Amino acid sequence: MFFFSSLLPFPIRVLLILGSLATAVFILNHVRKAKVQIEDSLFWLIFSGFLLFLSLFPEVISWISHWFGFISETNVVFLIIIFLLLIKLFFNSIRISQLDAKLRSLAQRMALDEQLESTASSKNKEKK
Amino acid sequence: MSKLLIVIPAYNEEDNIVRVVKNLKYCCPQYDYVVVNDGSRDRTAALCRACGFNLIDLPVNLGLSGAFQTGLRYAAEQGYDYALQFDADGQHMPEYIQPMLELMQSGADIVIGSRFVTKKKPKTLRMLGNYLISWAIRLTTGKVICDPTSGMRMFNKRMVNEFALNLNYGPEPDTISYLIKNGAVVKELQVEMQERTAGSSYLNLTRSAEYMFKMGMSILLIQWFRKREPVTFYPERRL
Repeated sequence: MFFFSSLLPFPIRVLLILGSLATAVFILNHVRKAKVQIEDSLFWLIFSGFLLFLSLFPEVISWISHWFGFISETNVVFLIIIFLLLIKLFFNSIRISQLDAKLRSLAQRMALDEQLESTASSKNKEKK
Repeated sequence: MSKLLIVIPAYNEEDNIVRVVKNLKYCCPQYDYVVVNDGSRDRTAALCRACGFNLIDLPVNLGLSGAFQTGLRYAAEQGYDYALQFDADGQHMPEYIQPMLELMQSGADIVIGSRFVTKKKPKTLRMLGNYLISWAIRLTTGKVICDPTSGMRMFNKRMVNEFALNLNYGPEPDTISYLIKNGAVVKELQVEMQERTAGSSYLNLTRSAEYMFKMGMSILLIQWFRKREPVTFYPERRL
């Protein structure tokens, strides 16, 4: 049978499948409790789907490895996942920069408004 | 007499905002409105102040869902019974507000001003996304929404209070599908819409594709798992 024809031993496969399912459940649970925005959960959901796919069909990794001539199949797995995470990290970095800029602008707005108010009220007192 | 608030989110709409709001005030003087300026970089806020419009001026850009939520929070806190999402670019026609309100009062939670109830949806590339989202909603809820991407939507008090408070309640089709699944009654009214007369649309091909992907994934995959919290109306929460 195709499912058992891989080089991966059966226990490792079961471990991988359970691990990726648990990841998906964990993410969906956070979505359920409205702890995360849908836009942000999409990446992780697709990512856990990808992990599930790899654990069900590890042959895909062997094919890629053979095509490109990698020395070891593990290298392919690490390469793909580290690359995906790097991209995600970069987008996170952008998000943090933008949040930082917004927070700064917001704090400045509040402080400026307060200053304007206090100057206006002290001028009123002088008039009286 | 039940009160309606018209929420007009505006981002860089200096070419349209004055004309749109003046037209709205002329056609529907009986309803209140509020312009939510979403941190525009142009003169949108200045023009609104100069004309004396009711304005909420956000100091930073929050995006459409953040700006719209601000308007609904205002509606909830001011005790409005209904709120209408109304575009600042002149697409929506105030003539249809009264009929939408009447349909709402006949028993609905959400009324969508729809372009394709009695008219046929054109089979163009531009409408492809609209077809796909309609299909996704029908598949997951069993309900037919002819124009899910229409931005002219009216919400009742319960919806207003729910939208005002929660995460993941953007004014988008995925929220509609989620609410239908949770028993909200959604009705559609045939309306006409006008082409944008000035300024440029936010949506280009890449953005549209990205939007469709997000909406599709959200409706087909994620909405199943969301839990709905009970709503406490604003005045009771404040006591």
